[in-house]
Amino acid sequence: MSNPVTIIMIEDDEGHARLIERNIRRSGVNNEIIPFTNGTAALDYLFGKDGTGLVHKGNALLILLDLNLPDASGIDILKRVKENGYLKTTPVVVLTTTDDSHEIKRCYELGCNVYITKPVNYESFANAIRQLGLFFSVIQVPPAAT
Amino acid sequence: MTSEARKRRALWQILLLSAGFLALVIVSVGAVLLVDKARDHSRLVVHTVEVESQLSNLLLEIRRAESATRAYLLTSAPQFLTEYQTAADNVLPAADKLAALTADNPVQVENYTRLRKAIEQRLREFARGVDRVKNNDVAASITALRNGTSTDAVQTIVETSRTIRAEEGRLFAMRTADADRTQVLASAVTIAGSTLVIALAGISIFLVRRSSRARDHAEEQLRDSNLNLETTVDERTADLREANDEIQRFAYIVSHDLRSPLVNIMGFTSELEELRGDIFRRIATLARTQSAAPQAPENATDTAEPVLEGADKQLSEDFTEALGFIKSSIAKMDRLISAILNLTREGRREFDPVPIDTKELIEAVVTTMAHQVSEAEARIQIAPLPNIVSDRLALEQIFGNLIDNALKYLKSGVPGEILVRGRTKLGFAIFEISDNGRGIDPKDHQRIFDLFRRAGTQDRPGQGIGLAHVRALVRRLGGTMSVASELHKGSTFTITLPIDWPSSNRNTRK
Repeated sequence: MSNPVTIIMIEDDEGHARLIERNIRRSGVNNEIIPFTNGTAALDYLFGKDGTGLVHKGNALLILLDLNLPDASGIDILKRVKENGYLKTTPVVVLTTTDDSHEIKRCYELGCNVYITKPVNYESFANAIRQLGLFFSVIQVPPAAT
Repeated sequence: MTSEARKRRALWQILLLSAGFLALVIVSVGAVLLVDKARDHSRLVVHTVEVESQLSNLLLEIRRAESATRAYLLTSAPQFLTEYQTAADNVLPAADKLAALTADNPVQVENYTRLRKAIEQRLREFARGVDRVKNNDVAASITALRNGTSTDAVQTIVETSRTIRAEEGRLFAMRTADADRTQVLASAVTIAGSTLVIALAGISIFLVRRSSRARDHAEEQLRDSNLNLETTVDERTADLREANDEIQRFAYIVSHDLRSPLVNIMGFTSELEELRGDIFRRIATLARTQSAAPQAPENATDTAEPVLEGADKQLSEDFTEALGFIKSSIAKMDRLISAILNLTREGRREFDPVPIDTKELIEAVVTTMAHQVSEAEARIQIAPLPNIVSDRLALEQIFGNLIDNALKYLKSGVPGEILVRGRTKLGFAIFEISDNGRGIDPKDHQRIFDLFRRAGTQDRPGQGIGLAHVRALVRRLGGTMSVASELHKGSTFTITLPIDWPSSNRNTRK
């Protein structure tokens, strides 16, 4: 792939972020991971200074999104990404503690590509992340659309 | 208006009514009596008049006899003799009649006796005169007449009759006065009675109107306060619902936010576990190289698992033990949080009321438990049950939990007897699930419904969620539940649910 995929990780809990990163690396994915611990910073990065998302035109991104953020709702971020002309093709993986079926349904309705519940059981957790790494390695991430 | 005032008013009305009736009765009786008396008096007045007329009659007859006698004396004509005879014959019967009429009055009787004597003397004189004429002794008669021997008798007759008349006149005046008085009294009594009755009726009407006004007022107030009450109830219900929603949201958020650090704790504990493996492997390797450096190369130390010894081994085991405790605690905490999450999720589920054949539903529930039933050597009896309109899933969970509990906490060694009964009362269906199990100490009756709380010997798996869940469901369905039990004597769980789905039930909210 000419343009390597950048993984945007929006996760307020640094511990979770570390665990996710570690397990992604363990699964052999070496893409760049840009972590954000709050929604505002992530949105600033995603949509650029002008707020249009033009900055990422032609970039291949993959978003790892936690729904429970201190300053913004993950659902809103998901919605904005999927409504943006440049970012809507970006795969979004929702990775969160919420396992409420309504929430899951809502995320899929808004265009989320994968919904993963963070299991407390670490084996399952690590397993899920590694599978995700595998998934990363096989999916074709289109560059942000024109 | 207080009940005492109401009672007093009712008493007043009864009293007034009684007084009215009493007055009416007294007036009627009084009027009847007085009229009767007036009639008596009138009769007496008439009697007096009769006496007077009879007296006049008598005197007339005497005069007629006297005139006839004199005429006979003068003319000796036989028709005068006949007239005299007739008159003389009439005198005594007339006198008798008078006597009969005046017999009631001693004064008159005495007067009459005197009169009678005088009359008889006069009659005798007449008779003598007539006899003399018959014997042609007219002159003697005339002489006798002239001598006026009869003057005394005539005088007596005149005086006595005057006395009698005077007496009768007195009686007449008295009796007339009496009759008048009686009549005046009668009309006075009638008027007074009527006035009293009218007054009482007026007071009664006033009281009735006042009480009906008071009643109208009270009704209005009642209506108002009913409306107020409804509004208040609605407000409170809304408040409670809001509070409940808030608690649910709170529980939901808290459990989520608790789970988040738990993921970290578990994750890094596992990471530590891996580190521990690395560390102790290195320690072992180091220890080995230190103690036996020369012969190391030929042993494949890289591949084989290094063995720890002595203090190092102890250290490793302590490490493992500590990690084990941490992990099991995390697992437990995760289960509890999941339980809370499930409960709040259940609390948010919308109900779908359908008509339910309760017996069939419970039989189906029991069928899914066939394995536990046979394992516990229990027998489940289901009596005829009232059918209700409710949420099927909720009912399945309620009865499933209760029957499962009954099976779970049977006395060991005693075949279980579980009985499900039902009845209806005032729009509610009451279900009873009784068992002959180990029972619950009365001091734990409240506790068993609390989340994560259990009672008795803890020899069965469980989180202490079932009954809390059941009670929450029953409440949301608009019912209540209670337990009656004693240690070693079995338990009876009673569930009261509305037969018809209450329109105001909490199924409308999200």
